[in-house]
Amino acid sequence: MFNKRIITLIKRELREKVMSRTFIFMTILMPLIMFVSIGIQMLISGDEGKSTIALVTETQALTESFQKELLASDFMKQGNYTFSFYTQNREELKKFLDESKSSLLEGTLTGIVYVPSSAMKNKKIEYYSKTPTNLTLSQKLEGPMNKVLIDNYFSNRSLSTEELDFARKGIDFNGFKITKEEKIEEAGFGNLILSYVFSFLLYISLIFSGQTLLQSVIEEKSNRIVEVILSSVSPKELMTGKILGSALTALLQMVIWLSPIILIISTTLFVLPAEITFSITMSHVLFLLANFALGLIVFLSLFGMMGSIFDNPQDAQSGMWPLLMLLIIPFLIAMSMMRNPNSPIANIAALLPFSSIMIMPVKMTLVEVPLWQLFACLAVNVATIFVVFPLAGKIYRVGILSTGKKPKWSEVVKWLKYKY
Amino acid sequence: MYALEVKNLTKTFDKVVAVDNASFEVPEGSVFGLIGRNGAGKTTTIRMMMNIYLQDSGEVILRGVKVGQDFKNHVGYLPEERGLYKKMKVIDILYYFAELKGKSGRDVHRKADEYLKRFDLYDRRLSKIEDLSKGNQQKIQFIATILHDPEFIILDEPFSGLDPINTNLLKEIILEMKKQGKVIIFSTHLMDFAEKMCDHIVMIDHGKIILKGSLNEIKSKHSQRNVSLTYDGDISFLKSHPIIDKITDYGNTTGIRLKESSQSQQLLKMLIEKNVIVKKFDANDISLQEIFIELAGHEDGNNGKEVRNV
Repeated sequence: MFNKRIITLIKRELREKVMSRTFIFMTILMPLIMFVSIGIQMLISGDEGKSTIALVTETQALTESFQKELLASDFMKQGNYTFSFYTQNREELKKFLDESKSSLLEGTLTGIVYVPSSAMKNKKIEYYSKTPTNLTLSQKLEGPMNKVLIDNYFSNRSLSTEELDFARKGIDFNGFKITKEEKIEEAGFGNLILSYVFSFLLYISLIFSGQTLLQSVIEEKSNRIVEVILSSVSPKELMTGKILGSALTALLQMVIWLSPIILIISTTLFVLPAEITFSITMSHVLFLLANFALGLIVFLSLFGMMGSIFDNPQDAQSGMWPLLMLLIIPFLIAMSMMRNPNSPIANIAALLPFSSIMIMPVKMTLVEVPLWQLFACLAVNVATIFVVFPLAGKIYRVGILSTGKKPKWSEVVKWLKYKY
Repeated sequence: MYALEVKNLTKTFDKVVAVDNASFEVPEGSVFGLIGRNGAGKTTTIRMMMNIYLQDSGEVILRGVKVGQDFKNHVGYLPEERGLYKKMKVIDILYYFAELKGKSGRDVHRKADEYLKRFDLYDRRLSKIEDLSKGNQQKIQFIATILHDPEFIILDEPFSGLDPINTNLLKEIILEMKKQGKVIIFSTHLMDFAEKMCDHIVMIDHGKIILKGSLNEIKSKHSQRNVSLTYDGDISFLKSHPIIDKITDYGNTTGIRLKESSQSQQLLKMLIEKNVIVKKFDANDISLQEIFIELAGHEDGNNGKEVRNV
């Protein structure tokens, strides 16, 4: 299987790709793009813009305590919120709502918070706005308003400050990760961020290296250079060489991308802040790389095959979408898994061909995965190679020499039976 | 001993028979021509010989052994449709192709320089292929074909698109290779070239071999009763003359077939008597083109399906 010719082919692919400007750009820019995109996401969810809110209560005293508490709270310091305070009963509120309707719709007034007297007992507060479901706002207001209501509720009873403090305090939800090992560790956001990073890198790298291979197969085909090469090597050798060359390139890139993580795991040179520290081991990283290598061969076989069917990039686009689906769907499942690591679909997809390449690494980052599942995942992907590679090879063999009109899918299926 | 024997090769594409039971032999040290019109099955035959296509049936024997990778290592192949990696440097692509054939190192480097100098491209050796003119790209491709010092050189329509100077250079090198005892096989639809260069030919039409053998034998066999004539004047009186079998006008020359080979002197006498100025009178001579047309029927006979370039 392996011979000098394949090595020569691999060497050319590597020289061509690793030395290319695109490779260097991608390698450097990708982490930047990722951090920027994570940053933008945080910025968007964090930046609520300027909000003007009217707070209405039924008694003067309550209005004053809200005014005092809200104006003193942390989030007011950024100056994004402006509050106005009113004391009105329900009848007056109705009138006020009517009057404010236009400014509410225009957005000059973001919303009206109404605290009826009944809230003293049941803590039910009303919020009138064009966009009433505003998580950021309710999160911000919840703390201080709860505090006022609690103070008010307990003001006539003899409670110590200590007891009051306890009552005022919100709940702090701390996640602890249970692992097979003895220790139970407090999990930060680190693993969540890491799973995001993994799925993003795997996804981008598979698509990028697939596309590059597809282009290069199309180039060889439309340039007719393939016939010259086939006078020296067999189609199988050519395909193997190209796939392995591209796979090594992508693997090298992945190692470069993951090197900061590898350094953090294996050395004590870098210490991360507690809330983003992550708990994965070197063997996790090695598994990711091994699984990725298998996945590359699976997907590159398919992309190479696709390239051989078409002789120009425009036609190839139409053949690309089934392949892209095989990448996009697992990516979306991986994303949803970050929200719910126990989703049954994600758990099944972590052991399926094609999808396991992205989902298993995400899963192992989020939850403890039994060792057998990791091996099962590798076995599934090896088996996939044994099915996909020969099939792709057959189509490739016919495809690279057939030029002219775009073949129909039924013809492509026929190629499988051709004796070329 | 034959260098290469092609036995009963058949290849069908979607019910179209591209090559139909083709058999021929390529002698050692010969310049071998594979002749036929476009779409006759020349390229398909060559691709099967190169193991690029798998034949439906038949085999290709290299000095007694079925062809395989060993043949690929010892052959230089110039396909009809040329192509190079556009972004690669001239010198890199030459080394790359040689390396695929298992040749690398100082010998190849020295030879590459030699050929580049000979083709007047040495100063472009570090240029990218895409910066070269089309003619120069063809030259590079030809160098890549012969750089690894192959024993067999297979050229599919090597002269198409070459200017006269480079055509001559190519011819020169082919003859040089022949002197070194290499086997050169080339396909062409240009009968003139085949006639000038080949010592053995095989003629293929609609996938079938219609003629094969040494060019001299073929010509002497077909040239009896044949006169090729260059003249000034009017020869229309010959048209219904009893000794004439057929007259064919080829532009510069006219091919005249007599009923008996002994009648050539009579024809010459007649021409002079009728005041036709005879510039060239070649008895017992026939051009390959005449033989081809005689065997393959009408030149424009598009009655067969042309095989798509698959």
